[in-house]
Amino acid sequence: MGESKLDLLQGTLDLMVLQTLAVMGALHGYGIARRIEQVSGNEVLLNQGTIYASLVRLQQRRWISAEWGTSSNNRKAKFYSITKKGRKRLVEDAEYWQRLSSVMGRVLGNQEEGGQ
Amino acid sequence: MSIDSLPQWLQQCIAIFRRTRLDHELDAELSAHLEFAMEENLERGMSAEEARRQALIRIGGMEQARERHRQARALQVLDTFFQDLRYAVRGVLKNPAFTAAAVVTLALGIGVNASIFSMVSGFILQRPPGHNPDRVVVISSINPVGGMFADVNGVSAPNYLGWSRATDFYQDIAAAAEDGGRNTSLTWQGQTIALQSSAVTPEYFNVLQVSPLLGRVFANGDDQPGRDHIVILSHQLWDREFGSDPSIIGRVVRLDREDYTVAGVMPESFRLMGFTPQLWTPLVLTSADQTAAARRNRFLDIYARLKPGITLPQVRTEMAALALRTEQVFPDTEKGWGVSVRMLPEFLIYVFHIRNALIVIMTVVGFILLIACANVAGLLLARAGGRRKEIAIRMSLGAGRLRIARQLLTEGLTIAFLGGGIGLLLAYWGIKFLRAKMQFNPAVSAVQLSLDWNVLSFALGISVLSAVLCSLAPALTASKTDVNFSLKDETRAASAGRSHTRLRSTLVTAEIAMALLLMIGTGLLLQGLLREQRQDLGIQKDHLLTAGVVLDHGRYPDPAQQRRFVKELLPRVQQLPGAEGVAAVSTLPATGASHVSFVIQGQPEPPIDKRPHAVDFVVTQDYFHTAGIPLLRGRTFTAQDNDSAPGVVLVNQKFVNQYFNGQDPLGKEVRIDSGGDGGQEASSSSPSSSSSWSRIIGVVANVKFYSEDSRYEPHVYEPFLQRPVSSFSLMIRTNSDPDAFAPALRKTVSEADAELPLIRVGSMASVLEQQGSGDILFVQMLGAFALLALVLAAIGVYGLIAYSVGQRTHEIAIRVALGARGVDVRRMVLRQGLKMAGIGAAIGLIAAVPLPKVFSSMFDELNTSSPQTFVLVLVLILLVAMLATYIPARRASRIDPMRALRSE
Repeated sequence: MGESKLDLLQGTLDLMVLQTLAVMGALHGYGIARRIEQVSGNEVLLNQGTIYASLVRLQQRRWISAEWGTSSNNRKAKFYSITKKGRKRLVEDAEYWQRLSSVMGRVLGNQEEGGQ
Repeated sequence: MSIDSLPQWLQQCIAIFRRTRLDHELDAELSAHLEFAMEENLERGMSAEEARRQALIRIGGMEQARERHRQARALQVLDTFFQDLRYAVRGVLKNPAFTAAAVVTLALGIGVNASIFSMVSGFILQRPPGHNPDRVVVISSINPVGGMFADVNGVSAPNYLGWSRATDFYQDIAAAAEDGGRNTSLTWQGQTIALQSSAVTPEYFNVLQVSPLLGRVFANGDDQPGRDHIVILSHQLWDREFGSDPSIIGRVVRLDREDYTVAGVMPESFRLMGFTPQLWTPLVLTSADQTAAARRNRFLDIYARLKPGITLPQVRTEMAALALRTEQVFPDTEKGWGVSVRMLPEFLIYVFHIRNALIVIMTVVGFILLIACANVAGLLLARAGGRRKEIAIRMSLGAGRLRIARQLLTEGLTIAFLGGGIGLLLAYWGIKFLRAKMQFNPAVSAVQLSLDWNVLSFALGISVLSAVLCSLAPALTASKTDVNFSLKDETRAASAGRSHTRLRSTLVTAEIAMALLLMIGTGLLLQGLLREQRQDLGIQKDHLLTAGVVLDHGRYPDPAQQRRFVKELLPRVQQLPGAEGVAAVSTLPATGASHVSFVIQGQPEPPIDKRPHAVDFVVTQDYFHTAGIPLLRGRTFTAQDNDSAPGVVLVNQKFVNQYFNGQDPLGKEVRIDSGGDGGQEASSSSPSSSSSWSRIIGVVANVKFYSEDSRYEPHVYEPFLQRPVSSFSLMIRTNSDPDAFAPALRKTVSEADAELPLIRVGSMASVLEQQGSGDILFVQMLGAFALLALVLAAIGVYGLIAYSVGQRTHEIAIRVALGARGVDVRRMVLRQGLKMAGIGAAIGLIAAVPLPKVFSSMFDELNTSSPQTFVLVLVLILLVAMLATYIPARRASRIDPMRALRSE
């Protein structure tokens, strides 16, 4: 069942988390995980637990901040939101990924042509 | 939170210590996550159980999530280390008896090492004062006659002047007359004291590149007659005699009855190890210092700063060539004399003559540390034996072998640092003790011993080293643990402990070998030193008071005045109550007087460097009676042997044996060369008699040349009235405590001359003790360390046997149940102990065989061959090993088989 799903490259999860928080505002860990699954159209193979390692890493770099709060259904949860520094980083990283993916697309496209 | 604003790596470090809290927080987060997921699943219509199962699947395992979180938030290396540390500390606290034993053992080893290392730091690692002392060389002559320090003999003034002009290797070159401590009298506020002084050419302080604390150092031209009456004070003298008065600069003090202006004060740090001058005056070299006679007076140390780019080998080659040329031009005086060049730090250490003693004692304490480590390793092994199951469980749960080894090393480190900390405390006291003990002469007490950075880093280094040494064996064994075997093994480790026990046996065997080696080495040195201490010097050294006198040239310019002074003073001292005999002697007996060469009448007259030699003493008539030297033949000097009578000398028995083949020498004549090798008198006051013939009128018994030397040398004694000297010692035989006589002596001398200070008033015994250069302290330290080594080794033997008896309780109980008697059990255990002791002792003995040879090459004045020491130490160590084995053996023989087997 997982064969068709994408394995996450190193660093991509961090970027997805940043983007999610930038778009959605403050979210708790489960919310972030679910949001990423939905946006990716369930194409990403995500062990939801791994999100927390990413969150602590981003928090230590001061790209996101965290605060305990209460969810809509009255549960205590830790809410994360992106910082100024995180937004700056997101812009840089997003640009980098865009460039990388377009380059990858070109390279792979060329190879297919060459192979024919 | 403030932690959030720190850089990531710091947060990662801090996270290690907030582990519990962070884990707790994460757990709260994860459980919230789980509930959100379950709620969503319930909404989709799953059963409660299925909702929870699916949620857990999606999380991908709680434990994995936690582990990833930990990895992300904290530095892994540190985190593991602190885990190990926590574990180690827990282990240490859980087992206080074990910990105390291990920590105390290591603390002893480390403390002793750090204490002794303070001596290495103080004597060897200390850099001389001044800028870049590694660019300063010291140039000395090499005495062809040989003897102690023959290759750091002084240089004559003509050679200093000639050599410094002949080469351009030196930025600055200076000469200092300081050999043996020149004595100067200082009169200040009506008090006259004797001080050690040094006369230096003006460039001296420039060569060393030291600046004064106050005033100035000498400058060019300060050595010109008329301008040379200026003095620079040492910090100590300034502090002690002048109350640190900064206005002392420019004031006038009286030195040797002449007025000198204080030009400067040196800082406290300016101190060349082994040299203790209290003041410096300009050295004036006149035309008299350029004569042929001045060539024999080798009284200068030459210091030179090398020009940039010039190397030591270059200088050595150059100086050797210069010395050779000098030898060719002036064969009369320079025949055979060479030159040696050393870097200043090296020179100071060499002249101080302490390196070999330090090497020996550092080796000894090094061995002690090894033995201590072996003991602690044994303890750790024993404990690891008891923890085999625990380790196996950890390994089966996925801990790698490396991880296990690392954890054991952390335990070793914990113990070693605890031991190191306590060891430093011990070292603090040890160094205090050493400092108090190392006051036996001014040069030694000038060296500061302290718990400095060198000692601290050394202590840290050996702590880490001992941690590695202690945990190496347990770590290796543990990493070889066979998980299956260890877990299945339900029995009481009767057989499985064997590999541990074997390793421990090896360790204890090594300990015994090391202890034996140490004790034999110590025993040999002890024997040699004691033999030296107890040797008969040839004088009766008890009830003798001595005091040095230097008659200055101001008031006593010629032999007549010197003669008159002695002739008037001695009878007055003799009349004091308690004085049994009074004499003056040029150099105190057994303190290394200078040699003279001479010619025997009727024998061919060889060139000066081939002539016979003898140790030269100038004595007053009562000397032999006062010193207690028996007259063997002929007569001693009388008042009639004066400057108008024919020259006479006395010789000792060794002289007769060596130069007259034991034939009767009475009536034979000898002619003594003046100023043979630059004794303090040299040319300035040489009397006429020394170049004429003197008749041998008597033979006295031998006296040792030097108290630490076992040889006898030929001695020749000249009468003071015929050859007066300006520097001599008074010697008074008293009928009670000699020190009690000192005030009366001082009073009488100051009545004769108020401005003449007495130098070093003290008993002959104390003079010899000071000369002992710390041998007694050396012996005491060695003895204490050997004892410590023995005790540690004994504890090692005891610990191992006691442990193995404990392990074998079951086996022994079965033996007893099957009919073994107490004697049999005792014998079995004893055999185990004695086997180790025997093998260890054999190895130690073999290693100790070359020791006498090693020592005799290191301490050439010492006789260390002593086969009985080998036997004695061997017996002693076997006895101690037997005792250490006997206690657990007796316990083993009393095992009650019924109880032991039931308790299984």
